[in-house]
Amino acid sequence: MAEVIVRQLTKSFGDNTVVKSVSLKADDGEFLVLLGPSGCGKSTILRLVAGLEEPTSGEIVIDGKIVNFVSPMKRNAAFVFQNYALYPHMTVFKNIAFPLATARMAKAEMNVAVQEAARILELSHLLDRLPSQLSGGQRQRVALARAIVRKPAVFLMDEPLSNLDAQLRQQTRLELMDLHQRLGITTIYVTHDQVEAMTMGDRIAILRDGELQQVASPLETYEQPANTFVARFMGAPPMNLVPVTVEGSGLSWKASGAGGLIDLDLNAMGIAQSIISVHASETLKLGVRPEHLSLAAVGRGLSGKVRFVERTGSETFVTVQMGDENVVVRCSAHESASVGEQVGLNVRIAQAQLFRADGRNLRTN
Amino acid sequence: MTVISDQDGRDLAALKRQSVSLRSLKSSVSYLVLTLFTIISVGPAIYIVSPAFRESKSLFSYPPQWLPNELYLGNFEFLLTETNYVRWAINTLIFATSVTLIALVIDTLAGYAFARMQFPLKRTLFGLVLATLMVPTAAVLAPTYLLVRLLDDWTFGIVGIDTFPGLILPMTVSPLGVFMMRQFIETLPPGLYEAARIDGAGEWRIFTRIVLPLLKPAIVVLGIFVFMMQWANLLWPLVATTRDETRVLTVGISTLQGQFVTNWGVIAAATLMTLIPITIVFLFFQKWFVQASVAGALKQ
Amino acid sequence: MVEVSATPEWAQLSMSPKEYARERFRFRRRALVPVVGFIGPFLALWSLFLAVPMGWAVWLSLNEGGLVSDAEFVGFANWTTFLKNDELQTAIKNTSTYVVVAIVVVFSLALMLASLLNNNKRGQNFFKVALYFPLLVPPIMAGMIFFFLTHYDMGVINLLLQTAGQERVNFLGANPNALLTIVGLEVWRGLGFWVLFYLAGLQSVPADLMDAGKIDGARTVRRFVRISLPTLRPLLLFAVVIALIFNFQLFDSVQALTKGGPTLGTTSIVWFIYKQLFAFQESGVAYATSLALLLMVVALTVLAYGFLGRRDDGTK
Repeated sequence: MAEVIVRQLTKSFGDNTVVKSVSLKADDGEFLVLLGPSGCGKSTILRLVAGLEEPTSGEIVIDGKIVNFVSPMKRNAAFVFQNYALYPHMTVFKNIAFPLATARMAKAEMNVAVQEAARILELSHLLDRLPSQLSGGQRQRVALARAIVRKPAVFLMDEPLSNLDAQLRQQTRLELMDLHQRLGITTIYVTHDQVEAMTMGDRIAILRDGELQQVASPLETYEQPANTFVARFMGAPPMNLVPVTVEGSGLSWKASGAGGLIDLDLNAMGIAQSIISVHASETLKLGVRPEHLSLAAVGRGLSGKVRFVERTGSETFVTVQMGDENVVVRCSAHESASVGEQVGLNVRIAQAQLFRADGRNLRTN
Repeated sequence: MTVISDQDGRDLAALKRQSVSLRSLKSSVSYLVLTLFTIISVGPAIYIVSPAFRESKSLFSYPPQWLPNELYLGNFEFLLTETNYVRWAINTLIFATSVTLIALVIDTLAGYAFARMQFPLKRTLFGLVLATLMVPTAAVLAPTYLLVRLLDDWTFGIVGIDTFPGLILPMTVSPLGVFMMRQFIETLPPGLYEAARIDGAGEWRIFTRIVLPLLKPAIVVLGIFVFMMQWANLLWPLVATTRDETRVLTVGISTLQGQFVTNWGVIAAATLMTLIPITIVFLFFQKWFVQASVAGALKQ
Repeated sequence: MVEVSATPEWAQLSMSPKEYARERFRFRRRALVPVVGFIGPFLALWSLFLAVPMGWAVWLSLNEGGLVSDAEFVGFANWTTFLKNDELQTAIKNTSTYVVVAIVVVFSLALMLASLLNNNKRGQNFFKVALYFPLLVPPIMAGMIFFFLTHYDMGVINLLLQTAGQERVNFLGANPNALLTIVGLEVWRGLGFWVLFYLAGLQSVPADLMDAGKIDGARTVRRFVRISLPTLRPLLLFAVVIALIFNFQLFDSVQALTKGGPTLGTTSIVWFIYKQLFAFQESGVAYATSLALLLMVVALTVLAYGFLGRRDDGTK
């Protein structure tokens, strides 16, 4: 059980800087998710913490000790690979026992530990098999067993579910969360799937091109994204971003865009007066999630023309075109909109976000 | 009925009918040719059986005959008692096996280092080693000979002309082996290696517990390759040995060719005796031999 | 981007750059220890028994003697002899002729047999094993066997010729027969290897290419020439270079069959070197020749890698 801190961590491969001065802290027992698109550096950070790569600069601290120049094993961090990395010529038992054998544990003790780990992951009946005789899900569990058998201080998981099919993925996700609850080991989990991140993480660290975008609880990243990237990355369908200009004074501001005029609620949106006045007459982006929009009769507020109607059975996504912009509206399953129809839009402005031209949220936290 | 035609407008169905008979004719010819070459390949060795069992004098008789009247064992007797054949055979065995073992050890170790370890100048060193991949023995014959002779003095005769170490060591250097091993090790998924490091294994443990077991086929192939090369090696042992007792089979048999008179029956017997064990081994391990020879050049 | 007004305390570096660099140095140095153990043995033997002799060969080429007497420096005298020595020129001519003929013959036969094997899968293993057999025979012993076969008086070939009422052929006693006989021997020995080599190459031609050819109506020979060969081209080039390197070192057959004769007709470059060094002790020219051979092989090796590299798009 340990705290993991990464200080101004930078990693370059030749001219390519993959991790740009990232600082993160994973508290003791926390499940921290590193989320981002491919190439954002999340796996690299994980590997740096594990000791599989050497940092270009910055410090890595595990349990209070700087481990930059400590070998992977001595860092007491276990790693679960995306493709499991099981030793193909060893039985499941030997695979799980390997870290203990390396530490020269006595045979009897080793046996107990392996059996225990196998029990937790329901592998007890597979101990004599070879990896090639196992299914993907079973191999995943062997990899996990090998990781927990050492009773490490930190778990590092690199997209462990990506190689599983959808159903198995969901099931294993729950198993992992259960495991975390039971063992309480600090875990850093890398994924590109924001659903996984949302459901599993205590906090999510979102990365893009090697830079940290936001570190917050899943709900916070969803409701109060720090910038347009996070806003679009979290949630499916993604948040609608519409260009608007704002004008007004005091506490009364309006946003005008292709679809019409909307009143803004600065208090609910958490935007300070001083900040918004700086950006008057600039082109900003208004972010509203599909579930915070609803169709209405054409009236004073926003309006547009229906372009697409997608029914998923449990709900309907209606794409409305306003000028050059398309917004997606989440409606009930029986919403009766039809393509080409002119409709009005209601906005739950309290839930909306305003972003600067450079993407940053105007909200002050 | 629609007739399907190919791009030249020929009736495909008719074509198919015709080509069936054409095909079987073609394949008969093919098999004939293959059989012919099989006979050519194996024939000479079978041919040598006869002179081995005949008295040398009778070999030159006229009219020439092939089948011996009776099986004459005198050649073999001579070979085993009057010449150092047995000694040569033992020497060759020791020589070839030692070179193979040593080469395997150093090549796998070096191959692993080049494949998976980081160190300064790795690329340069590997490039240098590659450049010497196919250095002909003849090109460095003189200096190697001089070197071994020098070492004779420096190592108090342990490594020198007419010694085993002197004979063996220069032949253990096989850049090809290192190259092969490196290529093979590089095909192993790096994840294995990383998982092992996380599990606390040091380089040596990773090498022995993880890499070596997975390297077995490559080791067998390389081993056979090296063994076969040294088994047939003539030039170096010819130069590195001066006494009859230290010779290897290739050199020894060539000495059976006297300056003026050659006892051909004995030579045939010697050739036969040398070929039989290796043929038997070959027949048992065919698959590995075939792989070994192609691997020698086709390694990419 | 998250703009933090100030770096929080936990995110501040605790090591000075100097400390950091020092620790990193120590770490990297420790990591080198196992490297030495792994690469040391090979590198040691390689340096001693390959690199040193190679360097020495360069030095020797500028010297005379050294085997029996002490070496004396003669500068480029050896190289002038190299260019003027008749025997050496003959050796070069013989070896070159041999190399060209042998490679052409072996490759043609091997390609033909390989494609036959490729198209007729039955009994493939049997044929492969049979064709492989000559490779088991050490060259010198193969030489002995061939000596028998081609012997003027007792060789089976002449025997058969006689029974057929034809003239006997003096295989080894006359030029150019002798050289051709050596070609025959080496072709016999090498065929198995090259058949397997090309078979592997042919099998790596993607099946869909061949199928496309069949559908397009191409007959077997045409399929071979138009599809298989071009695909094999980089392999072929590589093979030619390899074959060149091996064949230029012709020695064992010469030792077994002709000992360089008759009248230098089959003296090969390596045979020349060997004779000069150990029979005549006239080492100067031999040294120069050795070095020339060495340089040629190294150049060819680099060339071969050029061909390989082109195939693999850059992987070494």
